[in-house]
Amino acid sequence: MDTEDLDLSGEEEEITAETVLKTLQSAWQNERLAPEILPHRNDMVECMLGQIQHMERNINKLPKTDLRACIHKMELNRIKYIICNYLKTRISKIEKFCISIVNEEKQRIESGTNYLTPSEFWYAQEYLVNMENHLKNTVLNHVPGRMQTFEFNKMAIYPNMQSHIFLKANDTINGIVLEDLIGDQDEEIDLEEGSQHILQYKPIAELVKNGKVQLV
Amino acid sequence: MDPYEIEFIGENRIVSIIPNFSYDKIFLISGEFGPFRAGLPMNVPLWLAVMLKQKQKCRLVPPDWMDMDVLENIKEEEKLSRFFTKMPNEHYMVEAKLILGAASEDIPRAAEIKTIIKDIWDIRMSKLRTSMDALMKSGGSYGRLDHLTMMEINSVKPLLPQAMDELHRMKMMTRKSTPATLNTSTFSQSGSSQNI
Repeated sequence: MDTEDLDLSGEEEEITAETVLKTLQSAWQNERLAPEILPHRNDMVECMLGQIQHMERNINKLPKTDLRACIHKMELNRIKYIICNYLKTRISKIEKFCISIVNEEKQRIESGTNYLTPSEFWYAQEYLVNMENHLKNTVLNHVPGRMQTFEFNKMAIYPNMQSHIFLKANDTINGIVLEDLIGDQDEEIDLEEGSQHILQYKPIAELVKNGKVQLV
Repeated sequence: MDPYEIEFIGENRIVSIIPNFSYDKIFLISGEFGPFRAGLPMNVPLWLAVMLKQKQKCRLVPPDWMDMDVLENIKEEEKLSRFFTKMPNEHYMVEAKLILGAASEDIPRAAEIKTIIKDIWDIRMSKLRTSMDALMKSGGSYGRLDHLTMMEINSVKPLLPQAMDELHRMKMMTRKSTPATLNTSTFSQSGSSQNI
């Protein structure tokens, strides 16, 4: 899949809706299976929502009982499902890893490589503030003074980057280093195009983000 | 992921149908399909095929591999090989289930085909369990799983990765605790807290 370096703003005419849908589906699949939050594909989501609106306007022109209208509606429902599920998965990760995501995202924004969309980032910060206020109101304000501070760092939950995942290689990639904990003899493996593996997420995290592997 | 989601992904596969109505090309977001000509075979995504079948607007053409001779061969090969053989189709189980479920009358020898596909699945699943067992016993944190289909991978999903995570966690613990002396302090602490 060579959709990585497509620039939506510049060459909107070039990509077909079909490609956008495929990219979105693989982004959804990766997001569902990766332990951490992945860079957002808001460009794809926005583009697809536009397509859906356009299609819905056309369907409304057809008579209700028309078979084509039925087919189009069913397809739209399938696509909407992917988009909803994708966004929901991201939201649930944001809520779960809220503190760590907000901290890391602040650094990423400085270097211009943000993973969250502006509205997701806003949501994450709001969520954090609400959580803090809630804990203060219910517990912290009622305990002795020196225990009242809300310690963000102690509350932070981090995704388990060492968890094992299944992947399929889209490209041949050589020299993935697998850490050996006991013997101190790190192992090196190659991923051939089309091959499937189970291994730790951490050494291949970057490959998921640049589309070289697909989580399955 | 939920098995229904794997099925959802599998539903994008292209299958062949023979419509009993005529229509122009239809331009879907996932591509253009048609034109529909009554009596002439054409390709559509599986979800559309099943939907049209349910509306009794088409007949399904059995995929090439959904044939007793082909499946017998696959079964034999799967039995003989130590490794997983390549399946004719990335989503053979999903396709078989949906096609045989919605249109078993369009498939010759549907009942036999259903049984043999189930046999192949069973052989592969038992192989998968044996190799998982071997992988865990060797304490590995890496495995190669060529030719396994998505549904098969998904069926071991809660178990295998989590078992490997646990194993990894234990390895981390042994590595951390070997240089230091056993943490007796925590024992005494928990002991004293019990007394209070």
